[in-house]
Amino acid sequence: METLAFQGLVGLSLAMYLWLIAAGLTIVFGVLGILNFAHGSLYMLGAYFAFTCYGLWGINFWLSILLSLIGVALVSLVMERFFLRFIYHLDVAYQLLLTFGFILIFDDAVKITWGGVFMIPPMPDFFSGAIPIFGRSFPVYNLFIIGAGIGVAIGLWLILERTWWGRIIRASASDREMAGAIGVNIPILFTAVFMFGAALAAFGGALSTPVRVVAPGIGATVIIQAFVVTVIGGLGNLKGAFVGAIIVGVLTAYGILLFPIFELFIIFVVMAIVLLLKPEGLFGG
Amino acid sequence: MMTRKGVSIFGYGYKKVSNLLLLLLIVVLFFVPQLAGKYPMYMAMHILILSVFALGFNLLLGYTGLLSFGQAGFYACGAYGCGKVLILIPSLLPGIISGVLFAGVTAVILGFLCIRHTRIYFAMLTLCFGMMIYSLAWKWHTMTGGDDGLVGIPRAPLEIPGIFSIDMSSLQNYYYFVLIVCLLAIGLLYRIVKSPFGLILQGIRDSESRVSFSGVSVKNYRLIAFTIGGLYAGLAGALLPPLENTVTPPLAHWTHSAEPVLATLLGGIHTFSGPVVGAFLFYVIKDVIVRFTEYWLICLGVIVLALVMGLPGGVVSIFEQKLIPWVRLRFAGRSLH
Amino acid sequence: MKKMTGVLGIVLLLAFILTPPVSAADLPKVIKIGGQGVTSGAHADYGRQMIMGATLAIDEINAAGGILGSQLEMKFMDSELKPAVAVKNARYLVQEWGAHLLFGVDSSGVCMAVGPVLPELDRVQIFTHAATEKLTEDLVYKQGIKNIFRISVPVYQDSIVAAMIFKDFPEIKRWAGINCDYGYGRTSWALFKATMKKYRPDVEFVAEAWAPFWTGDFSPHLSAVMAKEPDAIFSTPWAGEAVMLLRQALLLGVFDKIQLWWQAMGGSVDALEGLSREVAKNQFQGKLWATARYIHNWPDTPENRAFIERYLKRWARYPNYSAETSYSAIYAFKAAIEKAGSLETAGLIKALEGMKISCPGGERYFRPEDHQAVYTVPAGKVMHDPAYPLPILGELRVIPAEDYYRKPPFPPVE
Repeated sequence: METLAFQGLVGLSLAMYLWLIAAGLTIVFGVLGILNFAHGSLYMLGAYFAFTCYGLWGINFWLSILLSLIGVALVSLVMERFFLRFIYHLDVAYQLLLTFGFILIFDDAVKITWGGVFMIPPMPDFFSGAIPIFGRSFPVYNLFIIGAGIGVAIGLWLILERTWWGRIIRASASDREMAGAIGVNIPILFTAVFMFGAALAAFGGALSTPVRVVAPGIGATVIIQAFVVTVIGGLGNLKGAFVGAIIVGVLTAYGILLFPIFELFIIFVVMAIVLLLKPEGLFGG
Repeated sequence: MMTRKGVSIFGYGYKKVSNLLLLLLIVVLFFVPQLAGKYPMYMAMHILILSVFALGFNLLLGYTGLLSFGQAGFYACGAYGCGKVLILIPSLLPGIISGVLFAGVTAVILGFLCIRHTRIYFAMLTLCFGMMIYSLAWKWHTMTGGDDGLVGIPRAPLEIPGIFSIDMSSLQNYYYFVLIVCLLAIGLLYRIVKSPFGLILQGIRDSESRVSFSGVSVKNYRLIAFTIGGLYAGLAGALLPPLENTVTPPLAHWTHSAEPVLATLLGGIHTFSGPVVGAFLFYVIKDVIVRFTEYWLICLGVIVLALVMGLPGGVVSIFEQKLIPWVRLRFAGRSLH
Repeated sequence: MKKMTGVLGIVLLLAFILTPPVSAADLPKVIKIGGQGVTSGAHADYGRQMIMGATLAIDEINAAGGILGSQLEMKFMDSELKPAVAVKNARYLVQEWGAHLLFGVDSSGVCMAVGPVLPELDRVQIFTHAATEKLTEDLVYKQGIKNIFRISVPVYQDSIVAAMIFKDFPEIKRWAGINCDYGYGRTSWALFKATMKKYRPDVEFVAEAWAPFWTGDFSPHLSAVMAKEPDAIFSTPWAGEAVMLLRQALLLGVFDKIQLWWQAMGGSVDALEGLSREVAKNQFQGKLWATARYIHNWPDTPENRAFIERYLKRWARYPNYSAETSYSAIYAFKAAIEKAGSLETAGLIKALEGMKISCPGGERYFRPEDHQAVYTVPAGKVMHDPAYPLPILGELRVIPAEDYYRKPPFPPVE
């Protein structure tokens, strides 16, 4: 029993990385109507920027995360302002193609800038311990990740439901033209939301640097998982993204424990089942 | 002599000239083994296979308005199906046919799950299902050989028992087989898109509601289109095992699904020949870039950006929108109509 | 008329006598060597080290006059760990670029795809990294593809050596495996279990977890395996993944619970460098064991020491095993060409079969049965040594290769 609970906790920490990426993806889709294929690459850039600040230049860990968020936000600014903006009116296919082009560019750009070899930064000292939970040692860093994920979830909920900004965002998401008609500066709002979504992905990447390999191509693995999460949860729905991430993370962890052969396959099976029973996703529609 | 676009080149109509060029191209293709070396012949086979792959993809995108990012899954079904059969029955036709059928059946099943969805959702789902096939190919190693893949697939002879048997162990013979099969497949698809079925698909792409008001089941037509796309991907995949003698999981990975996407984008989404032109361009560009720099992804990415932003119609649109009008202007004086 | 024939005849005879004889070593001016490996992603260091090792060898050989007077030229391509790409590269290297010789490839899936193409390309390839035993046992011994030679130790090193060492640890009874979820990991785990069972029927294999390529987070694998409370862990992920796995294991307090951890390719330079901070702090508590396909501190011969010195001088880094295998492969080709006198495939194969050649890693013998090079690589504990800027393998256990290499007729593994 304790084993199951412990494994579930491990799965929860996995889920939080997925949540951070899926959250950004969902917000961007909900407001701009754009599915950013390159979102995983933004996660990867966040990891690289954080690694550079923290691992190579020795800057304070928290400051590194902040700098990485700013860096990726700037990159996403260029993406949106000079590229995506011009194809909003085009067919959905072109968005996906354009953002796919960005994946290719980012993958090689990262190789050119940092070299193709993987990078491993040191673990920040205050995180390198473990706490006994369910009779076994659970790393403090994983607890931190869970905390950060939940914090982001609460923060997003507060922003969207309780602030003026949130109301504008929700309005623009549900009816772009009307929002424009009542005076919302749609272009600026879109850029801001896109940058915010990118920052969320970068946050996930930055947080992952002490424990995961930083290498070209990590964005590609992560985007597939994020898509599965959003399909399960419902495209454009933040609550769905959160629940979907937890389902995928925890199931992956249990899969490794109980069905070690089929781990990779399980999340796709779950996705197929959700599609059969509730095609718009658990919270979609 | 009235021509399709009112263009006359040296007295011959536009259609006749383009047909002549097409014939010339096919003749050249038949002489590639004699005219070029072994490597270009090998590349030509890959280009033909990618053409078939991309044409199936564009049936979905250009004609039906569905962007599928998971075609590699069906390609892999074709490849694994063919490979497994060839190991048991070393005869080319059963292998290829099995691969195509396997891909088709998979397309029908997965299509049923994907078709009910709108365009972005559809793209995501196809992506995820393609990756599902990838993970299955990787994990089910008793069946697929895992990451080693299927090894030792023979380049089986093309035979109908009792009637004839053509040995395929020479790459040149196999080249002719691939060429003929691809030409037939391309011709067949051309018939399909020019038929009423093709017109309905375009109607669905342009205005789904209008088409469904006229009593046509949009879902069924989409499913049929999806299945055809899957069959063509499966054919492309089935032609691979005798060529390379191995089938491995990366064939199902979504980065492989990106190849027909890129080829179609390069060549042009809105024309029939776009994917074929694009397949050729894709291989040539990649091959050329790789000789100069290892960073070919970024070059390809920049090209993609340039195409989407500046030339959504792809390379073929340069012909349609720029070159033909120029020709028309230039030779307008010569035509008498 | 007769006069003309006569004069012509004499002129021809003179021409025949006076032209220098066509030498047996009728080699092209430039001998082209094509190489492949992974040069991007989490495993990129292996391809890069291959380039470094081969370049060093080629420059040395060229400076000393080349091979029988011909200079060497190399072209290296990224296999991206993808079999389809590697096959295409191989064809390009031979048919377009004109490579006379081939070396390289990193992963098992890739070598199994490239191997069968070699007869069609009519070239010999010396494989310098890919470890699956199927390359030599199946493709060479059973199917007779003679163009394949492997200069690096296969999975016998990762698995059988471990069993040979740890069978003598009576207190370790419960083993768990965290393995790569592809051929290499599966075979290693299977061979390890089979060998252990032979010597220690009391040993139990209590848990196993499988991690595919690009696994970023091993914590679920670690926690799944630790739930069964093993005494020791057998682990095969390599390169960057090995470092992350061990890091995450430390975080989860694994090293407080187990007695021993075997990280198969943990002795590889990139892994050692990645773990240096943790090793310096002795966080592995002397429980981390590893091996490699060559380690720079063994054998302690003048040849090895000189190689390290030249390599450090040229590249300012210690050579990884893929560097040494590639370096030695080039020299093996040199020896073969000099023996055969030509680049003809059949001649090269005959020259390489049964060849004994002295390399930095020791003496290698290409056994004729399956073209696998036989040489010894020790295993040891990962530890800090003040004489080196990176951790090394110490407390070495040297088991002669002849004692643990599998031999024909190669019974099935699983």
